Amino acid sequence: MENTYIEKIQIRKKNKLAALYPSTKMLVVVLYSLCTFVIGTIKITKYDLPLMLIPWYLVILIICYTSGALHKSKNALNVILGLSLFILVAQAFLVPGGALIWKFGFLKMYQKGLATGISLAFMIMDVGGIFVWLFQTTENKEIASALEASGMNHKISYIFISSLQMIDVLGKNSKTIMNAQKARGIETEGNLIVRAKAFFPALVPLILGAVIGSEERVLTLEARGFACKGPKTHIFKLQKSGCEPRVKVIAIIVTVFIIGGRIALWIL
Amino acid sequence: MDFVMECKNVTYSYPLAETPALKGISVQIEKGKFYGVIGENGSGKTSFCALLRGFIPSFYKGNLEGEVLIEGKDLVEYKEVLAKKIGYVFQNPFTQISGVKDTVFEEIAYGLENFGVLESEIEKRVIEVMALTDIQDLAEKNPFDLSGGQMQRVALASVIILEPDILIIDEPTSQLDPEGTESVFKIIKALKEKQKTIILVEHKIDLIAEYADKVIVFQDGKIIANGDKQEILSDISFMNQGVALPQVAVLGNALKSAGLPLKQIPVTEKQAISLISDILKERGSS
Repeated sequence: MENTYIEKIQIRKKNKLAALYPSTKMLVVVLYSLCTFVIGTIKITKYDLPLMLIPWYLVILIICYTSGALHKSKNALNVILGLSLFILVAQAFLVPGGALIWKFGFLKMYQKGLATGISLAFMIMDVGGIFVWLFQTTENKEIASALEASGMNHKISYIFISSLQMIDVLGKNSKTIMNAQKARGIETEGNLIVRAKAFFPALVPLILGAVIGSEERVLTLEARGFACKGPKTHIFKLQKSGCEPRVKVIAIIVTVFIIGGRIALWIL
Repeated sequence: MDFVMECKNVTYSYPLAETPALKGISVQIEKGKFYGVIGENGSGKTSFCALLRGFIPSFYKGNLEGEVLIEGKDLVEYKEVLAKKIGYVFQNPFTQISGVKDTVFEEIAYGLENFGVLESEIEKRVIEVMALTDIQDLAEKNPFDLSGGQMQRVALASVIILEPDILIIDEPTSQLDPEGTESVFKIIKALKEKQKTIILVEHKIDLIAEYADKVIVFQDGKIIANGDKQEILSDISFMNQGVALPQVAVLGNALKSAGLPLKQIPVTEKQAISLISDILKERGSS
């Protein structure tokens, strides 16, 4: 039974796609985003709409599904979907220009508004979606480990990973503070104005607390030899899934194909 | 005498402060002894800890006069290696979690990782320390999901693992319930048995009376008394200077002034029981 704990903290994923090395995933994210912008310039139908962005979103769903992370990603993807729909509607009805497409009472939808609406909304869905995939299939410590392995200073990777963890901690703290303020008679529930009033008494102690806490955290790190120079041990070992070269090649081929197709469309 | 630490006439003011937080501190810390540091709030106890750990002046800046020596060498010369020499644990358990580790095991191992200790040794030492601090059951939990008492034990474990000879512990139990306090003191007791030099700031005077060898009393940035715990904690004159004395010492003084022939003033409950029962037995037999 040697090294049981060290064995237990390692991350072993069965899914080859989810287990990709973080830098490979990052390459996929960057190339996918690049393709999104390229595809956004393809205008079809008589109204010149960038409709190709919509099927492009299917790629996200396919990647998430094959990584076995579709269920986990659902909430985040839904939030982005809601935001995108709002942007789509707002843009479509508010931006004038071009031909009138649709009219209902005082609501008027023009071609230009619809085009920018679709373009913005689906770009957000596509690019946001690929980041959701990245973060749902990658643990924080995998990212930090990859950053340090790529030669980044351990202080920077500390800042990165502690910021990610801090989101959870501050979320918990804010609930505690909200409850404390409620007990003192500050109304935190109700309409928008009531909530806005509760904003400051909740936020100020949260932020000040975090600032004061950071001083003590420095002392904590100092007491653990954070500033110690010389080589460090990493008990967490980042694994490669073995599919990295294949995935990289596929991602690059798809990107080249899409960019080539775009150029071909211009020339023809 | 074997001194591990020595302050020579140290006066220190925090940046922007008008009056110094520590005034003319001269003290020698003996090896392997347990020092209890007591005094009112704002009397300089925490500043004293920060001074001994070297956070003053390297972290807090400000104006420092005098010198602090560790094993005869100026504290400033140690730099980062000091973490291995002096362990430092403080009040708030929540800020003593590094914030970059997902499990208690990794949290405790963090210090060793920073010093580049071999993996196989890390595993061995973390298991040992977890046994000492009784947190084996928590090994795979997220440190932020623990209770205050458990977190404080993890904080202690994370420092003990570096095997420092000197431990500075600043009010470790002020945010804990009685159960948490007891578990922390169990650890401190175990460390005392390992011949570590311990400097503990604590308001729970009965615990100091029970565990400490020596007591240092702070008032207004100065050390007003420094010596054997028996001597200091039984001295009723400190009561007038805002120092809380153990209940049994107050009782002992009251009994003595009421004419009971106590051999000495008790400072722990155990002493009090044996002293008073001795007298009662004498009376019973006479």
